[in-house]
Amino acid sequence: MSKNKKILIIEDEKDVLAYFEALFQDNGYDTVVAEDGVKGFELAKSEKPDLIALDVTMPKQSGLKTYRLYKRDSELKHIPVIIITAGDDSFKLIFDEHMEVAPPEGIFDKPFDPHKLLKAVAELLSS
Amino acid sequence: MTREPNLATFPTDFNKWVNTRLFDVIPLGVAVIDRKYDLVYANDTFEQLFGSWKNRKCYSVYKGKDSMCAYCESADTFKDGVSRVNEESGYDKDGRYISYLQHSTPIVDESGHIPYLLHVFTNITEATQIRDEHQILFDQVPCNILLLDKNFRIVKVNKQLKDWFGDIEGKHCYEALKGVEDKCADCTARQTFADGQIQTGYHVWKSKKGKTFHLHVITIPLRRKDGSFDLVLEMAVDVTQTLNLQERLKFANTFLETIISTSMDGIFAVDDKWRVTIFNPSARKFFKVRDKQVVSREELVAMLPEGFLTQVSEWPGHVYLPEAEVKTIKGEAFPVRLVGNKLMAEDGTIGMAFSVQDLREIKQLEKDKIEAERLAAVGHTVAGLSHGIKNLITALEGGMYMLNSGLTKGDIERIQKGMEMLVRNIERISMFVKAFLSFSKGRQIQAKICDPAQIAKEVVELYSVKAEELDIKLKNETIGNIDPAPIDYESMHECLTNLVGNAIDACQVSDGPGCLVTVKTFEEYGTIIYEVTDNGCGMDYEVKKKIFTTFFTTKGLGGFGLGLLMTKKIVQEHGGRIYLESRPGEGTTFRISLPRRHLPKIIEKKAPN
Repeated sequence: MSKNKKILIIEDEKDVLAYFEALFQDNGYDTVVAEDGVKGFELAKSEKPDLIALDVTMPKQSGLKTYRLYKRDSELKHIPVIIITAGDDSFKLIFDEHMEVAPPEGIFDKPFDPHKLLKAVAELLSS
Repeated sequence: MTREPNLATFPTDFNKWVNTRLFDVIPLGVAVIDRKYDLVYANDTFEQLFGSWKNRKCYSVYKGKDSMCAYCESADTFKDGVSRVNEESGYDKDGRYISYLQHSTPIVDESGHIPYLLHVFTNITEATQIRDEHQILFDQVPCNILLLDKNFRIVKVNKQLKDWFGDIEGKHCYEALKGVEDKCADCTARQTFADGQIQTGYHVWKSKKGKTFHLHVITIPLRRKDGSFDLVLEMAVDVTQTLNLQERLKFANTFLETIISTSMDGIFAVDDKWRVTIFNPSARKFFKVRDKQVVSREELVAMLPEGFLTQVSEWPGHVYLPEAEVKTIKGEAFPVRLVGNKLMAEDGTIGMAFSVQDLREIKQLEKDKIEAERLAAVGHTVAGLSHGIKNLITALEGGMYMLNSGLTKGDIERIQKGMEMLVRNIERISMFVKAFLSFSKGRQIQAKICDPAQIAKEVVELYSVKAEELDIKLKNETIGNIDPAPIDYESMHECLTNLVGNAIDACQVSDGPGCLVTVKTFEEYGTIIYEVTDNGCGMDYEVKKKIFTTFFTTKGLGGFGLGLLMTKKIVQEHGGRIYLESRPGEGTTFRISLPRRHLPKIIEKKAPN
């Protein structure tokens, strides 16, 4: 059995998803992937990942809604979430005003610096 | 030569003439009755009045009766020998109703008995009729009439005045009519008594019940033949209602004048000869007509749309032009909303009234609003653009990472994958840029008259094969009759293609069975409406908020997010609006509404020679 930490990647764009998968696997993490928010929530329940990397703009269920569901779920709310988005900064205000849940553990803009992302992931998983 | 009368024989001849001829020549009817009321003598005048009389009873001849009158004056005279005069009525020889004075005088014999009575008749039929007519006139004329003596006592009143004030004959006029103790200072009757002239005045009377009457009074001296007079006839016409009406008319007039002079709308009117009678300050401002400058009929005709005055004058109701072009008096055109009303009186048209609303400001506001929306769309577009580019850059960086890490590891498969990612995303960038350029440049709307329902029909046909393959039911409905309209056929086709394409995509990601997409075309109150409805996945709030404004897509890089933005742009260029109703899991309805009055104008193209 692998003792590697497990990261759930939720991203609808296949090429970007492939990038995340390769990046995390190359740095010693196991990965599970979902292409929309609904599947992403189901996988989190069944796989119990150690960290979730979440896109915002997705079909079926947006990343923000999915995030809210995680943080209201007693089983999942302790899992750190990093939101990685191509959107502008305006969505960040939503956390202050509308989400009624704690802000995410990390926020990264696309395109992102892979070293900074890996550093943040490592810090969140060691604590 | 005149023959002298024979004085010697005169008394004898005279007596004989008196005995035989006198009664026949006097202009009065003379008859004699005996105690049985039989006529025993009558003269020619009597016979001319009553006809044959011999062997007939008096009551039969005078009154056409078969028996004696219930009250008989003659019976009394037979009894007491006193002469009597009485006003009677009966029937003449032709059966006409007559009035006459009847003198009954006893003929007494030597023993003092009365064997006969002499009846002398004066025909007063005409005089009686005139008198009765005067009485009717006096009583029934629709004004108050009273006779006053020099002491201002009321001698006589007509019926109307009696009805109003009761029995006031004998009282002082100022007491009876005004309830005051002294003569009025402005007494009209006194002026007539003083100078003998007809005078007029205005008086207020108060009845005992407290009702007030306003009266126009005329006083006339009732002169005798010699010009002297003791009585004045006063005629008083009730003007209370007229005064009230005048008061109300004055109010209505002031009210109207205020409205007209302060109205924000231009108001003007013409009489039946189309001469301008009203041209209010707002109309002067709109049409650049100076204060007090008179607008001629010809100038007005030139200012209004061609034939408009004729149309209003011939149309049964009012004529409403929601958007018309008029000209100032100097000939500068400007847009207005125009209403014309024919003014009707009982006996025909008395003129026309118009109201005009300046649309220049509204038009400018509309233009400003569209411009503001366009700028906002540009802003959102830039934001959306950056979202698309960031995703593409991330994918490119992903490709670079795969390529680099593949090279380091000597992993050919990974190098291959990295290369594919780079090529694919460079291709996407190129497509993205092309699509964006085509959007930002757009193309000029070219409207031509076409059948709005036909566009929907074609789009539905275009998708029918794909829908069948995906097991989605696709329906086209045209409700009612829709007249042709000026629309850019290709652009509107593109809009509906986008909406139907989206609806089919929404159905594809929906889990529910029995997918249905419906396109409806109909018209409501001069607005053409397209509705594209699906029972697919629907949208949540966050998606709805962004849908028209950015390069927003939920389809990853499969869609550029340009379709709806393009659709909105085209709809706006047609002067229309696009709305959306959507609930997650229940489906979505897009509605394009195109008011006919906002549709683009047809650009006339000259046929090539």
